[in-house]
Amino acid sequence: MKKIASLVQSRQRSVRIAATVFLAPVIIIMAVFIIYPIVSTFSISLFDWNGISKDREFIGLENWKMLIHDRVFWFAFKNNLTLMVCSIGIQIPVAIALATFLDGAGRKVNFFKVVWFLPLLMSSVAIGFLFSYALATTGGIVTTISQSLGGGKVDLLGRAPQALYAVISVVAWQYIPFYMVYFLAGYGNIDINIYEASIIDGATRGQYFLHIGLPLLSPMIKSACILSLIGSLKYFDLIYAMTGGGPGTATELMATYMYKLSFSHFKMGYGSTTAAGMFILVTGFALMMQTILKGNGSSNDE
Amino acid sequence: MNNSRVKSNIAWTVAGILAVFWFMITAIPFLFMVINSFKGQFEMLQKGVFDLPDSWFPTNFIGVLENGFLSYFFNSVILLAICLTILLFITACASYPLSRMKFKLRGPTYALIVACMSIPIHVTLIPIFKMSTVIRTYDSIFALIGPYVAFAIPISCYILTTFMTSIPASLEESAEINGCGKFRTFFHIILPLSKPGLSTLAIYNGVAIWNEFAFANTLTQSRKAQTLPLAISAFKGEHSMNIPVIMSVLVLTVLPMIILFIILQEKLVRGLMAGAVKG
Amino acid sequence: MAVRKFVVFLLSALIVLAFTTGCSKNSGGDKGATVSSETSTGSAGFGVSSKKLTITLWDIATEDPTKGIQERAVERFMTAYPNITVDNTHIQNDTYKQKLIISMSSGQCPDMYIHWGGGPMNEYIDSGFAVPITDLMKEHCDIPFLDAAIAQSMYKGDIYAVPFGGIGGSGIFYNKTIFNKLGLGVPGTIAELEATCETLKKAGYIPFSLANQNKWTGSMYFMYLATRYGGVDEFNAAVDGTGSFESPAFQYAGEKIQQWVRAGYFPDGVNSLNTDDGQDRQLIYTEEAAMMLHGSWQAASMRNDNEEWYVKNMDYFRFPNLASSDKPQNIVVGTSIGNGFSFNIHNDQDKLNSAFILATQYFNDDTYNSEQLATGRIPSIKGMGDTIEDHCMQKIWADFSSASNVQLWYDQYLPPAVGEAHKNTCQEIFGLTKTPAQANAELNKAMRDN
Repeated sequence: MKKIASLVQSRQRSVRIAATVFLAPVIIIMAVFIIYPIVSTFSISLFDWNGISKDREFIGLENWKMLIHDRVFWFAFKNNLTLMVCSIGIQIPVAIALATFLDGAGRKVNFFKVVWFLPLLMSSVAIGFLFSYALATTGGIVTTISQSLGGGKVDLLGRAPQALYAVISVVAWQYIPFYMVYFLAGYGNIDINIYEASIIDGATRGQYFLHIGLPLLSPMIKSACILSLIGSLKYFDLIYAMTGGGPGTATELMATYMYKLSFSHFKMGYGSTTAAGMFILVTGFALMMQTILKGNGSSNDE
Repeated sequence: MNNSRVKSNIAWTVAGILAVFWFMITAIPFLFMVINSFKGQFEMLQKGVFDLPDSWFPTNFIGVLENGFLSYFFNSVILLAICLTILLFITACASYPLSRMKFKLRGPTYALIVACMSIPIHVTLIPIFKMSTVIRTYDSIFALIGPYVAFAIPISCYILTTFMTSIPASLEESAEINGCGKFRTFFHIILPLSKPGLSTLAIYNGVAIWNEFAFANTLTQSRKAQTLPLAISAFKGEHSMNIPVIMSVLVLTVLPMIILFIILQEKLVRGLMAGAVKG
Repeated sequence: MAVRKFVVFLLSALIVLAFTTGCSKNSGGDKGATVSSETSTGSAGFGVSSKKLTITLWDIATEDPTKGIQERAVERFMTAYPNITVDNTHIQNDTYKQKLIISMSSGQCPDMYIHWGGGPMNEYIDSGFAVPITDLMKEHCDIPFLDAAIAQSMYKGDIYAVPFGGIGGSGIFYNKTIFNKLGLGVPGTIAELEATCETLKKAGYIPFSLANQNKWTGSMYFMYLATRYGGVDEFNAAVDGTGSFESPAFQYAGEKIQQWVRAGYFPDGVNSLNTDDGQDRQLIYTEEAAMMLHGSWQAASMRNDNEEWYVKNMDYFRFPNLASSDKPQNIVVGTSIGNGFSFNIHNDQDKLNSAFILATQYFNDDTYNSEQLATGRIPSIKGMGDTIEDHCMQKIWADFSSASNVQLWYDQYLPPAVGEAHKNTCQEIFGLTKTPAQANAELNKAMRDN
């Protein structure tokens, strides 16, 4: 009995040691490059500081009070939420469909796979440029379609509600390939024997997808949702390149707002508060989502 | 039987049409980029961006290549190789205990990784810049290794942990019964089985590192240290940019990534993993 | 020992000679090392350091011709003073301010850096990253800079910057071929401009090409209309708090813009067009639009795109007068400082003098100025534009020379957060999503909150 207990103990100890050794490099690097900046952001958020001066005035929680009443910030947060809901709702289903198609059709559609992957490779400079012409009110693709159907010109990027949705669509276009590859790898991970067995059993593609593919893919779908959630709540690139937050502040996101405060308005103190607030919101949402979905990758054997 | 074949044919036809539709949506913007890279600025603006160029002679490409494009390119290649090697190895190490071991701090560690995903990168620019001046890596590609690896870690650990969890436990147990320690099990069983996951990470992070701008712009200054995304700003003026020239820079930037993807995507195909198990 | 004494003597002799280079407009070109026959314009003790030192210099000249012109100025300096290394970095405009803030914040501010005057310059000065150079400018520089350029280099009574980038005005570029075809003349008043727009519209042209996604492009209309109505005083009063952005001039500007939007004087989807992507020049080149209110640098850009087409078709006129206003109508909206160099060199007069000489005698020398002129830029120096060849730039220079005042771009002059508020509200005026009254009230609030 005692022997077994000590065996268990020594096993636990060896697990602890192994875990520590395996995790150490990652934890150290994250501590230096991520955790330290987070701490410093929180500490700067307590100061009134223009970002460059040697004097900074400690003002306690004043910035935080301001943040709570900052209409622009909460409006930006609302835009982020819209982006989040649309991203999860569009990107993941489309990506599953594309991955399923590629998985089912096999090597003969390799060319499709490469082309479908292209949007992820394009830099936001090129995307911004191409879509400002493609979505142009005069001569743009959407306007041309609308006019051929007897409609009028469509101003997608210059008007408040549709500008946000136009950019959301472009963001989806850009990120779908990532989730496609992700799910494709997920299919690749499904044991070939399961697949063969089900096909021998006479299951159709549809049945296979619904009863075997999708359930086996579900941990990946859940983690894709978390990734998409975090990505859309801290999104920056294309909004900054395509609308600059405009028209007015209609497409402002938390990250673009924070960037402007910190690097062009000389309000580093308040900019850091915005960043810290954003960090709290994003982490909070992500952990909440994680709890709701529960079956994340790490908890299957708990 | 006949009925289901008809159904299946219809399903494939519909899927095929949608596939071609999606093919156009992804290919056409890319083609625009290529087409415009062959034009002159005035030509592009006057005739419209959707027209074919007057000449397919690669004037812009020659100009770009003669203007030191290759130095940006090699910096990017070296940086990518170093970062991916470090990243994939340490992420695989970290994901192993997170996915397949039971220990007390696993939950909090996992939460920490999620939290680290949530940080907006722009707030880290100043602290990381300071660090690079203190350890004297500023203005070299080595200044970028730290932040690139660090910012890729959380998402990579997250993805890889999900992958490793789906590896059947039986394989690992049998290895342990055969007397393999944790380390041997990791290198001989888990790592080979994680290839699809690792390929996904290589693709995703490879693209992200290849196109990363904010850190590269902050932490480097002279051309000897600059990477491809900065080539774009080097070809951009104060008030105007020569769009076709920039498009040609972008085309040259994208090509290596397409090749990398073509190589790595083979690893994503079903069956390779089964082969690994059997072999 | 003797040798050492000799070296010391030689060095001091060289230093004395170096003083004599002074600071004069025509001292550029090939200065033979430190030997110059010119008489010193400065007191003893002024000159380039004879010690070995490095000056770090940041600018935004990423593209030729500016890049080459500035690099050659630095090279001439380094040839003349081989003991000094100028570590010159070009940073792309879009991220320049971000990079400067980061390096200032980390104590790595360059010795000499470019800026545009206005709100950001004041922040740099307040934070201790620019030293006053009033005395140096008075005693060691006889370049006849434009008064307005010096005024824009000043803060709280001291001069903090040496202008070098050249003036930047704004006005209306127009397609003279279209104007001739329709028998249109250059409008002298806003009423005539509106009549011109009506004629153009009837003939199927878009009167103004405007790409207002970038916000500062549409701001030019607002600034000119407000300035024509209320001069610079009303703006200054709104800034210092004795007046308000809700006063009549800004109301007039907002209403006029919306009237023009409704009348169809601007392209469809004006707020979605992007000037960086060339969408405004595109409308000009395709001859769909006839006029474009823009910065004077567009002359060089268009010339660069297609010189032949530009010379044949494009011309320029100043923003017309408001006949009913009693305020001066010859105010130009733009910048006379262009770019300025400020110096982050503390407690080292020797080094500061060296950098100052680089900024005044190598930038701003004859070679530099003639190269600038040749590429369509006019240095901020009196009389400088008289020899420019570009036909549009000649007119822009004439405007500048006769201007009673230069209204600096609002978004550069105002504190940055207020400048942003101006650009946002102005864009909403163009989008008809806010009434001028709402927009101006919001702008005024941003000003008061700052």
